[in-house]
Amino acid sequence: MKEKNSAEQLQQGGSFFRLMMIYLIVCSIGFTVMMICVNKLMKEHDKTLTTQICDLVAEKMNNSISYMTSSAENMAAMLTAQELKDFDNVYGQTRFLKGEAYISMGFVDMQKRIYASDSELEEFEKWDLLEISKQADPVSISPPYRSGLTGQPVFTLFANITYGGNKKGKLFMTYPLKEIQNIAYTETLADETEIWLMNAESDNLIQCAGKDKYAVGSWANAGLTFEKNINESDRDDYLDWKQKMSDGEDGAALVYKSGQTGYTQVFADIPSMHGWKLVVRIPSSAMSSAMMKFRTIVIVFTTLLLLATFIMFVMSHKRDEADKEILENLSIHDPLTEVMNRRAFDMAAQTQLAHIGRDDGVMIFIDIDYFKTVNDKYGHDAGDKVLKEFAALLKDVFGENSLIARYGGDEFLVFQKGADRAEAEEKMVELNRRAHDIRPANCPEDDHYHVSCSCGGAVCPENSRDFEELKSLADSALYDVKERGRDGHGWYAKGSGK
Amino acid sequence: MKRLVAAVLCLNITAGLTGCQQPQKKPAVEPAPPFKAVGDTVSGRKDIYLIVKNLGSSYWQVIIDGAEDAAEEFGCNMYYSGSNAESDWRSQERLLDEAVEAGADAVLLAPNDAVELAPKIDEVHDAGVKVVLIDTTANTENYDICYMTDNLMAGQLAAKEMLKQLKNSGNSLADPLKVGIQVGAQTSLSINERLAGFLQYWTRNAPVDWVIVPDIKCNDGDYEKAVTCAAELFDEEPDIKGVFGTNNGSGKGFAKEIKKRGLNDVVLVSFDYSQEVAELIQSDEYTASTILQRQYHMVHTGVETALSLTAGKHFNEKFVDTGVVVVNRNNMQTAEIQEILSHS
Repeated sequence: MKEKNSAEQLQQGGSFFRLMMIYLIVCSIGFTVMMICVNKLMKEHDKTLTTQICDLVAEKMNNSISYMTSSAENMAAMLTAQELKDFDNVYGQTRFLKGEAYISMGFVDMQKRIYASDSELEEFEKWDLLEISKQADPVSISPPYRSGLTGQPVFTLFANITYGGNKKGKLFMTYPLKEIQNIAYTETLADETEIWLMNAESDNLIQCAGKDKYAVGSWANAGLTFEKNINESDRDDYLDWKQKMSDGEDGAALVYKSGQTGYTQVFADIPSMHGWKLVVRIPSSAMSSAMMKFRTIVIVFTTLLLLATFIMFVMSHKRDEADKEILENLSIHDPLTEVMNRRAFDMAAQTQLAHIGRDDGVMIFIDIDYFKTVNDKYGHDAGDKVLKEFAALLKDVFGENSLIARYGGDEFLVFQKGADRAEAEEKMVELNRRAHDIRPANCPEDDHYHVSCSCGGAVCPENSRDFEELKSLADSALYDVKERGRDGHGWYAKGSGK
Repeated sequence: MKRLVAAVLCLNITAGLTGCQQPQKKPAVEPAPPFKAVGDTVSGRKDIYLIVKNLGSSYWQVIIDGAEDAAEEFGCNMYYSGSNAESDWRSQERLLDEAVEAGADAVLLAPNDAVELAPKIDEVHDAGVKVVLIDTTANTENYDICYMTDNLMAGQLAAKEMLKQLKNSGNSLADPLKVGIQVGAQTSLSINERLAGFLQYWTRNAPVDWVIVPDIKCNDGDYEKAVTCAAELFDEEPDIKGVFGTNNGSGKGFAKEIKKRGLNDVVLVSFDYSQEVAELIQSDEYTASTILQRQYHMVHTGVETALSLTAGKHFNEKFVDTGVVVVNRNNMQTAEIQEILSHS
C-alpha cells in the first residue's frame, strides 16, 4: 500500500512538474508574443510620430525661410513705394545699416550694376549671383556659399524692386545660414533633429541644424552621409525616396535603419530655392526612449510576476501535498493503531477481491479476548497501548502486503491476498502464541495477566468470492472459536456460526 | 523539456531587448610630437605656433617651410607640430592646449576636423591668443582670420577641368560616360566642400549621360587604402572615363593604379602635388590635371597677419580665398606654375 502511495505521489508530482512546465511555456510564449507586439507597436508609433514631427519641423523651417523672403519682399515693396530714382542714395544710406539678422543689403539695377561692397562684388562674380537674381519671382535664394566678411556659410535673397518710374531692379539681402536655424529652433528634440538643405541633382547637403551646433554650415554628400550607411534591406526605399525628390515631388517620408539606429527622414520642397529641398531626420529612438523605459518596466514586472506565480504554485502544491498526506492518513488509517480503518479496508479489500482472479485469499477476523477487562483493570491508556502493540504484532505477523484494519474497538480484520489456508493457519498460530507476550502497562510483576486473541478465518474462493459474505463467514468462524473458549483460531465450516 | 524552456526564455530575451552595438576599433595613430622650433628663437620676439594636419605629407612640409621663411622674414619665433594623420583631430586639440600653456601669442592652425575642434578654438581665442586658420576653416566665428582655398569654388574648377579634359580626350557628349570619385575623409570640411563644388558644377554643366558613379570611395587619409579604393573602382566600373581625387592621397592612389593598369583613356583630376600625379601630367600617354593650392602663400601671409594681429591691427574680412591654379600638361612648364611648384 505504501509503495502504491509512493508511486501515486511520484506520478502526481511528475504531472505537477509537467503542468508547471506547460504553464511556464504558455506564459513565456504569451510573454514573447506580448513583447513582439509591444515592439511592433512601438515601431509603428515611432514611425508615425517621427514622420509627423519631421513634417512639422520641415514646415517650420520652410516658414522661417518664408519669413526671410517676406522680409526681403516687404523691404522691396517699401522702397518701391518711395519711388526711388536710382539706388545711389538709398545704397549710400543703407549699406552701413545692420539688420538684426542679415549681414548686408544691396541692389542690382536694370543695367546689372551691382551696389555692393568689394568683397560682395567678388562673391557675385564667383558664385554667379546675378543669374540667381534673375530667378526672383518675386523672390529667389542663392545656394549657400562662404562669406568673405564672416567666414561663415551664407545665402543671398533677391526680391524684385521697381525704381525710376518703371525700371525693374533687385534688392538683395545676405543672411548667415545659421539664421534659418535660429528662427526655426525649437527646444523639443533639438538634440535629436538634424536638418539639411539638399540639392536633389548633385546630392550635396549643407547642414542647418543638428546635435552638434558646430556642424551647422558643413557641406556633406548625401551618398556618403545617408546612402552608404543605410542597411542593405532599406536601400531601395531610400532610392525611391530620392527619386521622388528628383521628380520634383513636394515631399516624401522615409524610414530606414543605419546599423542599429532607426531613422525617419522627410524632405520638403523649398519654393523659392530652385533645386533645393529641406531634409529633416530624427532617430526613431527619440520617440521611443520613454516607451523603452515603459517596456523595461513591463519586462521586469511580468518576469517577476511570472516568477512569483511559479514560486506560489510550487509552494501551494507542496502545502497541498502535505495536507493531502495528512488527510489521506486520517482517512485511511486508524489514528491509534496506524493500521487501516474500516472504510479504507473495505474499499481496498473489495478492490483486491475484484481482481483476485484464480488466486487464493484469506479473510481473518481477530478479536482481543476480554479486552474490556484490560481497560477496566489497567485503565484506558494501558488499553490503548495494548491495541497499539497488538496492531504492530499483526503487521509483523501478516506482513506489509496484507490488508490489516482495526474494525471495531478490539476487533481487527486481515485480508491476505495470495495466501492459502495452510499459510494463514501458520500465521494465526504464531499470532496466538505471540499475543501472549503483550502485557498491559502498569501490570504488576506478580500479575500474570497476558493478552490473548481469537481468530476466525474464511477462504476465498472456497467459501465465497464476495467480500461481505467472506467477512461474515470469518466472523462466524470467530464466533465458534469464542464459543470454544477463546485464545485460538478456527476456520469457517458449513453449519458453524451463530 | 528543460531545453524547450531555455529556448523559450531565450526567445523572450531576444524579443524583449534590443541588440547592442559593438564599438568599432579605430586604427592606432602615432600621437603628435611636441612642438619644435623652426630656425632660431630670440627672446622678446612674438611666439607663433603652427599646427599642421599631417607631418608626413609633402603638402604640409611646404607649409612648414613657408612658416620658416616667414618667421625669418618677419622676425618672430616659430614653433610647429601636427598630427600624423588627417583624421587625428584629438592630437591637434592637445597641441592647442600646449600652445596656450607655452604662452603662444598667436596660433596658426589647419584644423583636421572643422566641427570637433570648434569648441577648442573658441577656448583658445577666448584666452586672448590670436587664431589664424590656414588651409581649412572651422565651424566657429571665434577666430581672427582664415587663409584658405575656397574649396567649394576649387571643387567647381576641378569639375570644369574634368569636363574640359574629357571632351579633349574625344569623348562624345552624346555617349554615356562615368566618372568616379575618391575622398580622403568624410569629416574634412575642405574635402566635403571640394566634393560639393565638383558635384554642383557637374550637375549644372555635364552632359546628361555623363554621370558620377554613386559609390564614392573613402580612404580615410590612408595612402594604401587609396590605392585599394582606386583598384576597386576600376574593377567595379571597367568603362570609367574619369576619376576625381579630392585630396593629395586620393589623387596619388588613382595615379598609381592608372599607371599600373595602363589606363590611358582615363582622365585624372586631383588636388595638390605629388610625384605620382606629376608623372601622369608630364606623360604624353596619360591625361591628368591637378588643382594646386597656394599653401606657401597661405602660411606666409598667415604669419604676417598673425604678427599684425598681435600688434593690434584689425582686419575686416575673416575669410581670404588664396586661390588655386589648375595644372595640366599644357601649362606645367609656364613660369607661374613653376614658381608655385618650387614651393610644392
